[in-house]
Amino acid sequence: MSLYLTGTFRDKREAIQAIEQLKANGYGPEDLTVFSDEPVELPRGVLDRKSYMSLVVVSGAVVFFLLVVAFVYYSQYNYPLVTGGMPIFSFWPTGVVFYEITMLGAILTTLGWFVWESGLLRRDKGVPVPVIEPEAICLRVRCAAQQYEATAAVLERAGAKNVAKLEKAA
Amino acid sequence: MTAATTIPYQQVRDDLWRPLAGASKRYTLTLALLCAVALWGLIAWGYQIHKGIGVAGIRRPVFWGFYLVDFVFWIGISHAGTLISAILRLTDANWRKPVTRAAEAITAFALMIGGMFPLIHLGRVWLFYWLFPYPNSRLLWPNFRSPLMWDVTAISTYLTGSLIFLYLPLIPDVAQLAEHATGLRLRLYRVMAMGWSGSDREWHALERAMKLMAGIILAVAVSVHSVVAWDFAMAITPMWHSTIFAPYFVVGAIFSGLAGLIVALNIIRKTMHLERYLTPHHFGNLAKLLLLMSLLWLYFTFAEHLTVWYGNEPKEMNVFNARVRGHFSPEFWVMVFVNFVVPFVLLGIKRLRSITTATIASIGVLIGMWLERYLIIIPPLSLPRLAAAAGRYSPSWVEISITVATFASMGAMYLVFSKLFPIVSVWEFEADEEEEE
Amino acid sequence: MSGQQQPKPQHSWGMAIDLDRCTGCQACVAACHAENNLSLSDAESAAKGRAMHWIRVDRYYEGEFPDVRVKYRPVLCQQCDEAPCEPVCPVYATYHNDEGLNVQVYNRCVGTRYCGNNCPYSVRFFNWFDPVWAAPLQLQHNPDVSIREGGVMEKCTFCLQRINRAKDDARTEGRPMKDGDVQTACVQSCPAEAMVFGDLNDPDSRVSQMAKSGRATQLLGELGTKPRVFYLERAK
Repeated sequence: MSLYLTGTFRDKREAIQAIEQLKANGYGPEDLTVFSDEPVELPRGVLDRKSYMSLVVVSGAVVFFLLVVAFVYYSQYNYPLVTGGMPIFSFWPTGVVFYEITMLGAILTTLGWFVWESGLLRRDKGVPVPVIEPEAICLRVRCAAQQYEATAAVLERAGAKNVAKLEKAA
Repeated sequence: MTAATTIPYQQVRDDLWRPLAGASKRYTLTLALLCAVALWGLIAWGYQIHKGIGVAGIRRPVFWGFYLVDFVFWIGISHAGTLISAILRLTDANWRKPVTRAAEAITAFALMIGGMFPLIHLGRVWLFYWLFPYPNSRLLWPNFRSPLMWDVTAISTYLTGSLIFLYLPLIPDVAQLAEHATGLRLRLYRVMAMGWSGSDREWHALERAMKLMAGIILAVAVSVHSVVAWDFAMAITPMWHSTIFAPYFVVGAIFSGLAGLIVALNIIRKTMHLERYLTPHHFGNLAKLLLLMSLLWLYFTFAEHLTVWYGNEPKEMNVFNARVRGHFSPEFWVMVFVNFVVPFVLLGIKRLRSITTATIASIGVLIGMWLERYLIIIPPLSLPRLAAAAGRYSPSWVEISITVATFASMGAMYLVFSKLFPIVSVWEFEADEEEEE
Repeated sequence: MSGQQQPKPQHSWGMAIDLDRCTGCQACVAACHAENNLSLSDAESAAKGRAMHWIRVDRYYEGEFPDVRVKYRPVLCQQCDEAPCEPVCPVYATYHNDEGLNVQVYNRCVGTRYCGNNCPYSVRFFNWFDPVWAAPLQLQHNPDVSIREGGVMEKCTFCLQRINRAKDDARTEGRPMKDGDVQTACVQSCPAEAMVFGDLNDPDSRVSQMAKSGRATQLLGELGTKPRVFYLERAK
């Protein structure tokens, strides 16, 4: 049975110390979450999370590009009218349309993947979320019930205040 | 930065959240007045739809008049946010942080306003949806080779992108506000926050998304104003068919957007008492940027006119002379004065550079850039290739009303926005403060 | 580009105007108004530049009195093969049909007026309002030509209704069309017989002969619009 405990740090270095110690004790990035009111810059290697955002956005853009080229090609030939002696389908005049829709694909994919990768809207109802104090860094650890004492000790030694079990807000 | 200039955390919250609570008499009166003017513009538009677009002053050969001038002008203003937010984000310029949301809001609203004009100027606006590709019983498709279709896709993309670009960094602030709000506001903030909890996963995703969006939105913004420029440059009208138009318009857009931003920031600073957040340092940087854009604008204007003048092609010289020496010369020289001379003097001379002079210069630039759009559109149309078809254009009350109403609606939307959301991004400002310790 | 073999179009309409014969009387203008249900303007709207003349006579004065020379040129839609007005319409309200005509589809036009801006001949006209004819002029309408509502672009069609009528007659009578079957209103009404309309695909038609004349020029031909109207310049 796993439970969640949190500790509040005022100093970024103390939080990093605690994370390093917990990692040494066998905790991984899935068990550790840092909560804060502003983004906290942790040095590389401390709590890295894999991100596929760039790849996904580029892929989304490419997909939209292929779709829009196919669509414009189809629609221009489906309703072929000669204008100004120009060809029915011409890449460069319609190139602007391709570009814009490709960028639209990138934009929509960014938003969609952001919502996915951040975990917003997906948040597991059973997982409690701490209330963040202003200017504080709150570290939440998911640990097994029997590890609670040891884990709490690690946090306190690193300098955390209010080390406690985190209950789900009513 | 010494510790003395760092503002305590709670103070920042208080200062930036205070304008959201309540509504002073001045606020309510201003909003009511702006809404009234905007409503008048709507009535004028309704009258135009009912009677026919002939109630506007447009005529053959000047088929495009004030509405297109306003269209290009507002799309240009929308580049404020793009420059500040995107370019300065990408270059990690921290001074931009208190300024970004105000700029992004200008972008979103200016685009919404600008995007109305392709509808307002249509002869049969009730059929506007024919410009969109949708399967229909007559098996018709729009003509994607037309620059106006490029407009449709470009502005739709830019509007979507800028709304998302405005929304994303709003999420952490809105989550904070939700903790202290009640009633309708609470519901609005909760929905917008999407359950933001401030976890590192969320922050990283947000920052990555913002970096990507900054690059994307920059690419889109350049293309949007190039596309708007190509509405003119693709035509063979004398003095429209110029390759310089795309970069010329982009530079002009950034120029006018920056001016709009400076004016808006000064108003915000005064009315919301944010003098500690929007400091002379910010205005100094913006003023320097404005001066730079003014010189760049002058360069493009000079290059365009020198080329036409030296080439001495008769049809183009007809338009050139009308602009520089003839019927349109008052507008032309006023434009040069307020777009170049005034910023150069007020912002180039260090002793004269201040928040007040930057605002004066910016108001001048807004007038000047509107005149520039007017001078790009109307003179070439009034003097077509076959001289017998030449004609003078003068706007009617409908066009003037709608033009004024767009400024009023911009102000009104901005007022409402600043009452719902902190105009200075709280989390970005506080993060900036911490970094400077 | 299309790869399909289109059957060679039967007709390729064109017009020739002999400027040596033209007196500038503007009978063509009046005839066009009557034939095509053109809306009328009052003095006020004409002063505002809203008057509509699908064919107009441009007058240019040279010199000082008493050595004034006047040049007339009837200008109408040139039905350009590479028309600058066609590619810029976002809804395909104007395109080139296979008989060489630049057709304007009134029902499709949403009124962006880009085509009007792009026409170097300024031959396109816009309906700023729904047209109104003072009684009893509304009884004079040509039933073969539709009335355009406000917000729609229009221009000379080479009297497409007369072309279609002539085609119908020829088909009914079971004979091929011959030169002179189709006369546009302006051509029909010219008292000086300065204007000729016909099939450029027919090498024996009068318009083909006139187009080959040494005096034949094209208006703004250097723009590459490939107009179908040939102007025979005045002999010096």
